[in-house]
Amino acid sequence: MTNTQIENPKILLETHHHPPTTWKTYFTFSTDHKVIGIQYIVTSFIFFLIGGILAMIIRGELITPEADLVDRTVYNAMFTMHGTIMLFLWTFPVLVGLANYLVPLMIGARDMAFPRLNAVAFWMVPVFGIILMASFFLPGGPAQAGWWSYPPVSLQNPTGNLINGQFLWLIAVAISGVSSIMGGVNFVTTIVKMRAPGMTFFRMPAYVWAVFSAQIIQLFGLPALTAGAVMLLLDLSIGTAFFDPAKGGNAVLFQHFFWFYSHPAVYVIILPVFGIFSEIFPVYSRKPLFGYKVVAVSSLLIAGVSGFVWVHHMFASGTPAWMRIVFMVSTMFVSVPTGIKVFAWVATIWGGKLRLTTPMLFALGGLIMFVFAGITGIMLSSVPIDIHVNNTYFVVGHFHYVLYGTVTMGMFAAFYHWFPKMTGRMYYEGLGKLHFWLSFIGTNLNFLPMHPLGLQGMLRRVSSYDPEYAFWNVIASIGGFLLGMSTLPFILNMIGSWVQGEKAPDNPWRAIGLEWLVASPPPVENFEEIPVVISEPYGYGKSEPLTANLEKQELARDLN
Amino acid sequence: MTVNSSISREELQESLETRTVEHTHDEAANSMFGFIVFLLSESIIFLSFFAGYIVYKTTTPDWLPPGVEGLEVREPAINTVILVSSSFVIYFAELALKRHNMWGFRLLWSTTMAMGSYFLYGQAVEWSSLHFSVTSGVFGGMFYLLTGFHGLHVFTGVVLQLIMLVRSLIPGNYDQGHFGVDATSLFWHFVDVIWIILFFLIYIWQ
Amino acid sequence: MKIQNILILIGCAIALTAASLWMGEQAYSWFPPQAAAESKLIDELFSFLVTLGTFIFLGVTGTVIYSIIFHRAGKYDTSDGPPIEGNVTLEVVWTTIPILLVLWIATYSYNIYAEMAIQGPMEAMHIHKMASAHAATMEEKGTFSITASNSIPVEKIEVLAKQWAWVFRYPNQNVTSTELHLPANRRVSLALQSADVLHGFYIPAFRLKQDIIPKQTIDFEFTPIRPGKYRLRDSQFSGTYFAAMQADVVVESTADYDQWLKLAATHKPVPANNQAANEYTQKIKGAFTTGYPTVIPAPPPLVNFSS
Repeated sequence: MTNTQIENPKILLETHHHPPTTWKTYFTFSTDHKVIGIQYIVTSFIFFLIGGILAMIIRGELITPEADLVDRTVYNAMFTMHGTIMLFLWTFPVLVGLANYLVPLMIGARDMAFPRLNAVAFWMVPVFGIILMASFFLPGGPAQAGWWSYPPVSLQNPTGNLINGQFLWLIAVAISGVSSIMGGVNFVTTIVKMRAPGMTFFRMPAYVWAVFSAQIIQLFGLPALTAGAVMLLLDLSIGTAFFDPAKGGNAVLFQHFFWFYSHPAVYVIILPVFGIFSEIFPVYSRKPLFGYKVVAVSSLLIAGVSGFVWVHHMFASGTPAWMRIVFMVSTMFVSVPTGIKVFAWVATIWGGKLRLTTPMLFALGGLIMFVFAGITGIMLSSVPIDIHVNNTYFVVGHFHYVLYGTVTMGMFAAFYHWFPKMTGRMYYEGLGKLHFWLSFIGTNLNFLPMHPLGLQGMLRRVSSYDPEYAFWNVIASIGGFLLGMSTLPFILNMIGSWVQGEKAPDNPWRAIGLEWLVASPPPVENFEEIPVVISEPYGYGKSEPLTANLEKQELARDLN
Repeated sequence: MTVNSSISREELQESLETRTVEHTHDEAANSMFGFIVFLLSESIIFLSFFAGYIVYKTTTPDWLPPGVEGLEVREPAINTVILVSSSFVIYFAELALKRHNMWGFRLLWSTTMAMGSYFLYGQAVEWSSLHFSVTSGVFGGMFYLLTGFHGLHVFTGVVLQLIMLVRSLIPGNYDQGHFGVDATSLFWHFVDVIWIILFFLIYIWQ
Repeated sequence: MKIQNILILIGCAIALTAASLWMGEQAYSWFPPQAAAESKLIDELFSFLVTLGTFIFLGVTGTVIYSIIFHRAGKYDTSDGPPIEGNVTLEVVWTTIPILLVLWIATYSYNIYAEMAIQGPMEAMHIHKMASAHAATMEEKGTFSITASNSIPVEKIEVLAKQWAWVFRYPNQNVTSTELHLPANRRVSLALQSADVLHGFYIPAFRLKQDIIPKQTIDFEFTPIRPGKYRLRDSQFSGTYFAAMQADVVVESTADYDQWLKLAATHKPVPANNQAANEYTQKIKGAFTTGYPTVIPAPPPLVNFSS
């Protein structure tokens, strides 16, 4: 025992002399959590662009009432793939990527608990991404049953081939599930076991709390989807009867399996974004996060409640009345911990010293659109209203306000905020602000018109519609194209700044957090000396040190 | 300010002393923690299948396929006894390893493997004698899905046990720690508990 | 707190309330006409939620925008804001109020739901009990004129959904139609069935929707109140020609309804016009095939009456 203790620091010292990360490292099987984080982010962003192009084709079809741009089968494949790509290949992996980059740094660890598992989990993303894309080249085309893949439609196989779009879709989703479970195990272990000395649970940044809660949801929710997907795959490929009413199966049971995971999945997506908001508002308001402990715990509360809300997707599916009422009430209760967070952010901003940099703008825009999405969410949870607007564009508008208005805006905020840390370069503020305004206007132009359309009764997933709906659809389509354009300044900014941006200091935002105490970009293994944490996060305005050791070095370095 | 810095100095001193103990990052402990988290997650797949089974059993009008009376309980019961007892055997194997009794470990460990393999054999015999297939309604599908998915876990368990057995032949391999053995053993208990629930659901509740 | 601040707060609250109430009134105009008794109830609930939602939205964004305008740091101001970490009273208030609001919304929604008394598939045995209870509440509230005798549903109309057509059958007269005719101001009872996949029965003007599950018959009841022609659409994605799966719904006086039934009964069944079948024929006739293979639409239904 004594031997190993003496040897350990030596080994650690040696590992500090790893070769620095070059662009080539990003194409290798690296086990560095920071490399993997960026690999996740860049890969998923490529899929975000593909999903976005599909969205623009969809909006192109919907700019006129008739089904005239693409064949109806092609349209159905488009919205199925758009939904699947945006969820499984954009939001999930990009958030895992950011968490991968930030969590070890924020809790003072040198890496994730299982670095190799981490790398395997990442490399599954391009694998299932390619499997999913390959379905475009099958004779029958990709899956056309929507991202829910409700049977019996998903079991209808007009080509008669075993390997059809739906088959590949299920395989891809299964691999994605395995990858996410690996990630979940890794994150939970890392956060529970790898925290630096003094980093108690109530000294962790709210972002880490949010990631922790989200990953717990992955661990209890995903297996249910996997179970449903396995049964659907058996129905599709070898002709079992689970979900096929013609053979005595129960089609609605699939919906339970699916939504038991896929509603909590929304919280898997949104919780880390809440975490991002909780990091960004204090920095640019120069105030501590208001009610930090309550905000932290509310993430876990949301994760807990999320296991009991899934039937609200099935209010029109023939669920008994008692179920409708029970799940209506449980769904509405999600708004309580969520409301606590929103009020806490507003109170954080209130009376601060606000600086409207690009990340702050994105976070504020995301917050405002989230409040809107939350209100329409409460409306949707009310059974009588849901019966009217269920499966209409009102729902589409609502969840795009969540997924674009909040999640994607929050992701952009995070990209800009941590860009100097990740790359060691500053981004261009001007382009960032242009990007913000284009996407803020584009999002509202695109998704706000969907609400009146839904109230008027326009259904989602339609490739044609009655002319009475034309007006709002034209506006939504223009908004959609504007959103597509809005990514151009972002791409330009990111690539340009990474290549020739101004060199970034260690802590350009004067932010408080362990990740800002190391160099930009941080060295392999992050910390030369593991930090000893001695205070709560967000000590803005308090001039107390965060760690007992690192800041002193910092000072010494500055003096030299 | 002075108060702050004095606190920090004390805490620094304290943590510097405890650092080496606290932060060697015990990899085996992390792995075990991660493995338990994984098993908890894995159990939800089984719970989902069980929930599905209960829903089908209580709502399907023609539950058993035509010509099928029910399932034979005697053979599976024997199988159950063997699998459940193997959980005790593997526990003693682990105990032997902790006492550095390598031959005792190898013997008990191989016995567990033999019992697990017998369970798989018994399962195969049962499958081959059944008069319904996986496409015989939801009952047939559920039966083969549950027993097959569980059987896959038993098979994985036996393979893991084989790997651990081979590793035990490397001299001194388990001197530093035996996370692999502990994890395999835990997995085996997990597979056992799942089977007990499964046995009650499928064979007893007919 | 200074008197001035309290007055400002009260002023803001009044302005917010006024704006919210106005928005709540506007909400009624966002819907199609109220063609069923249920639609009035739903619109009322929605207007209430819009009022509440507007208040919260304006309250939150107003505060944020105020901060953005008045709490900006100067260009060279590197100081921090006040280190306020929380306020227990405030946090208790903003946890309690949402809980109370949620309970209020849930109770209100439940009451509306009970009044609608939609018949789900699992509730077939309770139909009569609930229908009469429904009539009683309606009379009490006097929201619309409907007598107890009227609340006994007319004959059960069979609705058959298939890829991609709606067929309605009136069993007493043995009339089939691709246009759904309903008498106004009477409780209507439908038996929903699907021949293949999940479909959804949805008439926006009625604010009512119910999924149709193959191999099940789902009973569905409501009360149309406004004569006119409306659209019935498939609300649960059902495959290639999903969007084309629509039908007209005609609400008319009981006399007109009876007359239509009599007239339709005299017609010989003919194949109805079917959008999906037409498109499919055109598609396979085309010079080159576009798109992916599709499930072949069911042949146009044979009906006594088609629109």
